[in-house]
Amino acid sequence: MPKARAAAVVLGFFLLAPAAPQAAAGDKPPKTMVFSVPSDPKTFNEMVAQETTSSAVTQFLFQGLTRYNPATGEVLPLLAERWSVSADGLVWTFDLRQDVKWSDGEPFTAEDVLFTFKDLIYNPKIVTPARDIFTLQGKPIEVRQEGPYRIVFTLPVPFAPFLLALNQAIMPKHALAPSVTDGTFSSAWGTDENPDHIVGTGPYRLKRYVSGERIELVRNPFYWRKDSQGQALPRVDRIMLVVVPSAEGRLLKFLQGETDAYGVTGDDYPVLKEKEKQGRFILYKTGPGFGSNFVVFNQNAKDPAKKRWFQNKKFRQAMAHSLDRPSMIDIIYNRLGALQCSPESPSTPVFYNPAVNCYDYDPQAALSLLKEEGFEDRNKDGILEDAEGTPLEFVLLTNADNPERLKIAQMIREDIARLGIQVHLLALDFNALVSKLMVTQDWDAVLIGLTGAPDPHFGANVWRTTGSLHFWESKENPPPSQQRIDTIFEQASEILDKDARKKLYDEWQEIAAEELPHIYTVLPEVIYAVNSRLMNIKASALEGPFYEIDEIDVAERPA
Amino acid sequence: MNFSSFLFKRFLAVLPLVFFLPLMTFVLMHYVPGNYFDSLRLNPQISPDTIKRYEELYHLNEPVLMQYGHWLKSILRLDFGYSFSYKQPVLNLLASRFWNTLALTGTSFLLAWFLAVALGLNAGLKRGGLLDKSCRLMAYLGLSIPGFFLCLLLMAAAATWTRLPLGGMESALYEDLSFGHKILDRLSHMVIPVSVLTFSSFAYLFRFMRAQTLTVTEKDFVFYLRTLRVPERSILYKHVARNAVNPMITLFGLELPALFSGAALVEIFTGWPGLGSMMLQAVRAQDLFLVLGNMMILSVLLVAGNLIADILLATLDPRIRLEGKS
Repeated sequence: MPKARAAAVVLGFFLLAPAAPQAAAGDKPPKTMVFSVPSDPKTFNEMVAQETTSSAVTQFLFQGLTRYNPATGEVLPLLAERWSVSADGLVWTFDLRQDVKWSDGEPFTAEDVLFTFKDLIYNPKIVTPARDIFTLQGKPIEVRQEGPYRIVFTLPVPFAPFLLALNQAIMPKHALAPSVTDGTFSSAWGTDENPDHIVGTGPYRLKRYVSGERIELVRNPFYWRKDSQGQALPRVDRIMLVVVPSAEGRLLKFLQGETDAYGVTGDDYPVLKEKEKQGRFILYKTGPGFGSNFVVFNQNAKDPAKKRWFQNKKFRQAMAHSLDRPSMIDIIYNRLGALQCSPESPSTPVFYNPAVNCYDYDPQAALSLLKEEGFEDRNKDGILEDAEGTPLEFVLLTNADNPERLKIAQMIREDIARLGIQVHLLALDFNALVSKLMVTQDWDAVLIGLTGAPDPHFGANVWRTTGSLHFWESKENPPPSQQRIDTIFEQASEILDKDARKKLYDEWQEIAAEELPHIYTVLPEVIYAVNSRLMNIKASALEGPFYEIDEIDVAERPA
Repeated sequence: MNFSSFLFKRFLAVLPLVFFLPLMTFVLMHYVPGNYFDSLRLNPQISPDTIKRYEELYHLNEPVLMQYGHWLKSILRLDFGYSFSYKQPVLNLLASRFWNTLALTGTSFLLAWFLAVALGLNAGLKRGGLLDKSCRLMAYLGLSIPGFFLCLLLMAAAATWTRLPLGGMESALYEDLSFGHKILDRLSHMVIPVSVLTFSSFAYLFRFMRAQTLTVTEKDFVFYLRTLRVPERSILYKHVARNAVNPMITLFGLELPALFSGAALVEIFTGWPGLGSMMLQAVRAQDLFLVLGNMMILSVLLVAGNLIADILLATLDPRIRLEGKS
């Protein structure tokens, strides 16, 4: 059949066609790094961004007054050159750098900082999560300008993590003030905005965004930072972020050399470790991750029997002893993980307390703890009953869209079942799960995670009785230990002395390990594979491999 | 009944569908627990007040009927609403993805139809021949291997033996390419998804076309034409082919909406930035108005596809629109 043959020839041509032809000849191509991101950015407006996919882009565009060093836990100056604080810790004076320009050439001044706080963060018409961070005991911070390069913050109460919180991106007044005036700020700088209008002080500016495809960032010609030799930074001219939704796709593209970095999972590690020998890329192990996976029991359960069990500290301690966490690390993370024993990740440079009780895997200890509290198999049916004869049985919820968490939940169910407790696993969509926890409050136990932060204060909503995420415990009758936690969180946010804060937060971690409102499980080891043509990489578990993005340099891309 | 009133009647009959499908979606989305902003509730740094303000901003705190009213009112102004997650008008988002999906599905649609009709007819006419046997094997495979699996197989094969790109629509450094290379780059990205889509719909269309051809060749009129000594070539390609293709036209109309919805799985697996993959994200994130807008487009296309099929059929076979009279 001639037609069919023609079609076959056409198809054949496609199959043999070379992929990704090389760039057209001409002048030297710009130094380019290519990274993959799992989904499209949703906005370039850092103020209203809610998801990590948007901040994957905005982190290159905007800067705050300070920045955090993930290795040491120190806060370093960025747009602010230096600062001082009054003796009572309430008045903070910042001197801004005078050599900073926005990416359109306009000078950066205290006006912009004032605008960011007064017109954006504290503007009641704009909904932004930033306002919650800068609202202290229900009161805003007073911001005032002294000359073109000095800004003074007056706090209603002392606030220890203030410097850290000031990594909040500063937005340009000259570019955004009109949208605040006409009420369109929330939709300003959406993904349909002309890239030239998006102005930041960061090392890169947006050049082009093709929906579902890629984001192109180019060097900000007005960038202020220089290296120690006085050379202009950043060293790399261009960053391409390609949207690759599937993890397999990201891995394949990295192995093909199309992208320059890849976040390695335990499953990938053996293969990549073998291929690392070929010298095309280097693996960076940065330590345990910053998220968390923990089990919470509903101490407010509607069923009175369950409420009794879950409020019993010994019951929770027995549950902790029953979890075979070393096996979880072996099976789920391919041995590349760590135990988490405290609310803080072991990677937190300052506030992690390594001395807390970690509850080894010990089913015998679990059973004897349960027996002490009257949980026994009285009718010999293989299921434990409580002192009143109610068989132990509950539903463990988790979210279905996180495969790693689902595996942990399955192992937890089996571990607890071995004691003679029936656990029913129910995996829900994330939003459905959250609405069960927070809105209908109809749940027994849940395996969930929260994102970690370098300062424990940013978890205050979880730990304080009045916190919005304090969802597991009765707000009316909290246990006595909870009062101490409330005091710790209040005091620690108001003491500026680092050692004193550390002592308080150490105590909190000890109480949490004793009372076990959250039973922490395991953390994956954070590993990045980075193309060896990238130089000066400083990788950390919190900030990834690009903490010093300005300093990174690339060798020529092999043809 | 004349042609235009026939069309008008058909149009009236299908119009409610255009509103019914989004309404169903609206009600279903409403009864799924949670909403878009729930995903913020577990962020320790966002207060419940902030979430409440977001809900007010998008009327999510109002009763379901009020919400539907807001939506309907804006639809009549051709405003498809606002996507929570993208912070953009839904229409912009749909438009940007629409052409990507069309490029993929349109190409495979044309390829599959062309191959299926040509091969189906010839296989039917030369039943039992080599072409028939090999095409039937292909069709058998096409029907039994799920599209996503085929997609993964092809991707694995391509990764091992070819330099074909494994996902997306353009290379990372697309912008640096010359015009000719840009076209090549796009085409090479299309190979895997188009092959998968073509293969699956070819399998089904081929079998249908072949069966039609077989049925028609056994009809009396073919026997009659043969007794009249009409040349065999003319009988087969003029008369048999025409009659066999007729029922395919209904199918054609029904397949049109699949141009926009049918590629979702393949889009997701190959990372093709089309409507389907965006719809999946939107449903998972409960991005209400984006889902509704997508649904609206799909139902319009479903209805339009059916109308086009009706018109085609009525033009080709006048008996259909006369049915009303007898």
